[in-house]
Amino acid sequence: MKTTAVSVIKNLFVAFILTVTATVIGFIFRYWNLQETNIVIIYILFVLLTARFTSGYVYGIAATVQSFLLFNWFFTEPYYSLKINDPTLILTAVIMFITATITSALTSKVKETALIAQEKEAESNALYQMTNHLTDATTYDKIASVIVKTLSRILECNVAFVCFDETGTTVSCFIQQKGDGTQIHRKLEDPVEFQKRMRNSHISVDAGMEFYDYPIYGRTSLLAVLRIPKEYGEKLNAAQKRIIHAAMESTSLALDRLSSFHEQAKSREEAVQERYRGNLLRAISHDLRTPLSGIMGNSEMLMGMSKKEDQKYELAKDIYEDADWLHGLVENILSLTRFQDQPLSLKKETEAVEEVVGAALVVFQKRMPDREIDVEIPDTLLLVPMDARLITQVLVNLLDNAAKHTAKEQEIKINVVVKEEQNIVEISVLDRGCGIPQAALSKVFQMFYTTSRKEASSKKGIGIGLPICQSIVEAHGGKIWAENRTNGGAKFTFTLPLEGEEK
Amino acid sequence: MSTRNEIILVVEDNVQIRNFITYVLKEEGFSTLTSSTAQGALTAIVTQHIDLILLDLGLPDFDGMEVIRKVREWSDIPIIVVSARDQDKEKADALDTGADDYLTKPFSATELMARIRVAIRHLSKIGMNKSQPVLKVGELSIDFDKRQVTKNGEPIHLTPMEYNLLSLLFKNMGKVLTTQYILREIYGVGYGTDTQALRALMAGLRRKIETVPAKPHYIMTEIGVGYRLIDE
Repeated sequence: MKTTAVSVIKNLFVAFILTVTATVIGFIFRYWNLQETNIVIIYILFVLLTARFTSGYVYGIAATVQSFLLFNWFFTEPYYSLKINDPTLILTAVIMFITATITSALTSKVKETALIAQEKEAESNALYQMTNHLTDATTYDKIASVIVKTLSRILECNVAFVCFDETGTTVSCFIQQKGDGTQIHRKLEDPVEFQKRMRNSHISVDAGMEFYDYPIYGRTSLLAVLRIPKEYGEKLNAAQKRIIHAAMESTSLALDRLSSFHEQAKSREEAVQERYRGNLLRAISHDLRTPLSGIMGNSEMLMGMSKKEDQKYELAKDIYEDADWLHGLVENILSLTRFQDQPLSLKKETEAVEEVVGAALVVFQKRMPDREIDVEIPDTLLLVPMDARLITQVLVNLLDNAAKHTAKEQEIKINVVVKEEQNIVEISVLDRGCGIPQAALSKVFQMFYTTSRKEASSKKGIGIGLPICQSIVEAHGGKIWAENRTNGGAKFTFTLPLEGEEK
Repeated sequence: MSTRNEIILVVEDNVQIRNFITYVLKEEGFSTLTSSTAQGALTAIVTQHIDLILLDLGLPDFDGMEVIRKVREWSDIPIIVVSARDQDKEKADALDTGADDYLTKPFSATELMARIRVAIRHLSKIGMNKSQPVLKVGELSIDFDKRQVTKNGEPIHLTPMEYNLLSLLFKNMGKVLTTQYILREIYGVGYGTDTQALRALMAGLRRKIETVPAKPHYIMTEIGVGYRLIDE
């Protein structure tokens, strides 16, 4: 409510005119010889009208006093003096004064309430509009623009807004509403410092040099800062503060919604890409497998057709072994792509560990028939939920790895231990080979990592066997690690959770 | 080179593998017919006398499973399915649909011949319609009349369930039996799909007949498919 000189004069003028009108009517009444009480009623009516048509309690009171004096001056004997001879008229005048005062007070109160209600409605309307626009906003800039525009209109000042990036990078500029309805981008004085201050201050408002800063928090982090110019921020009333907080609330919701929408879109895109990659890999592997079968079959046939001393036999054998190696690689890639698109679609079934170990040994021994593997396994039947095909692949990879680094006569062992207190089963592949260099221990599970050591055998690794083992084991909720044994050799251990064993 | 009178139909769309298979079969003295499509295979089966079918499941025109289904409507010709390694479900389905056995690519000539021999022996047994009272594999032998199992001549005490399981495997020596099939044969039709009971039963049986249950000599596990009693 602005109290300028113009409105004061206007209100006083209204009050003056109305009381003068009442006095004129009073003269007419006296001319008609009506009683003074009627004139009193007229004055009360006009005081009421004054209260109605002026803004403020004061003018009603002023009109009351004026009416009282005018009545006294013109209509009580002796006329044209403030003296009153008739004591009953004194009573009339006093009652008139009181009635006029109360009436004017009540009227201005009613008016004020109506005004407040109107204002409130306008506010809630504006907030509603803002929420609506915020819901429609699809970018952070739009949100900033909407909030700045709406709040500036409601609060009648130039509100500004800093929107932080979802990645947490420093933001160097902010948006501010200007009086002419445009919005400008301004530079933050010290962006790093500003962001730090906002992030660390867990208060609702922070007084800066130019602005009062209201940090807006989302579900997880600081999302934005609402800036109210200092000169307005100092004299905000309760209603305005309410509006600001309501606006911040809706902004926080809108920003959260937008960021989760972005996150979703991003992860969806990533998933699609991952699937494409997986599909491509799988398609290639599938297509590789068929010709590999042909190559292996035919080279085997050639081996059968030639004598062992023959050079042709050696050549055919080399072809066969290389094709076999390639085939192992293809199977590994297929295992990986099989569950990578949908990690949740592991075909977990309750399997007997001894059967899976046995199956892995069959696969391994098909490749290396003269390699003896020891097995140490609890005598009781051990049922563990797992994707048997994938765990077989893990065991085959670990056995291949052990065989690659171990001389033929040295031991390779599979050890199965149940750790009941941890509710896991621990499966280890141990060898008495050359062990793992200390520097490589932490890296063996990295994709494409191979030890630089030259292997005597021509069977080279490309460093995907162990990473695949790790992916498979971790997809089962287990762990895998490598260590060196005290008396030489390496030990690879993986765990599988026993949970879900009972149906 | 021995000569045999069985005719084997090779249904495989990959030329290299088809050549490899037919070569191995010819070496062993079998006669072969080939087809690269399912339609061609069905035509051949209807029009010619065939003793065994080697069937690739991934055929260009329609699914190999359809071929199995159609053939099984009117014939018991042994069918050996050839498929890739990661298609466990397909293998089990093919066996449950009526295929007799399966081979996983890549396979060796030895494996191929082993499977074919098993299938043909089963065929001849059906012809004789009379099973032998005593069967032997390695050190293990079973006497169906006495319901007795011995290893190295020593009798092994099996529970009735274990005996049923072992005799089922013996009757299908060398053939892979799906978990579903075994469950149906041992526990009856209404038993459902509780594979855990079978695993427990198998574990018990293995502890009695195998030296190291995790390195079985007799009953091999075919992961995701079922079990097979080896055949010498």
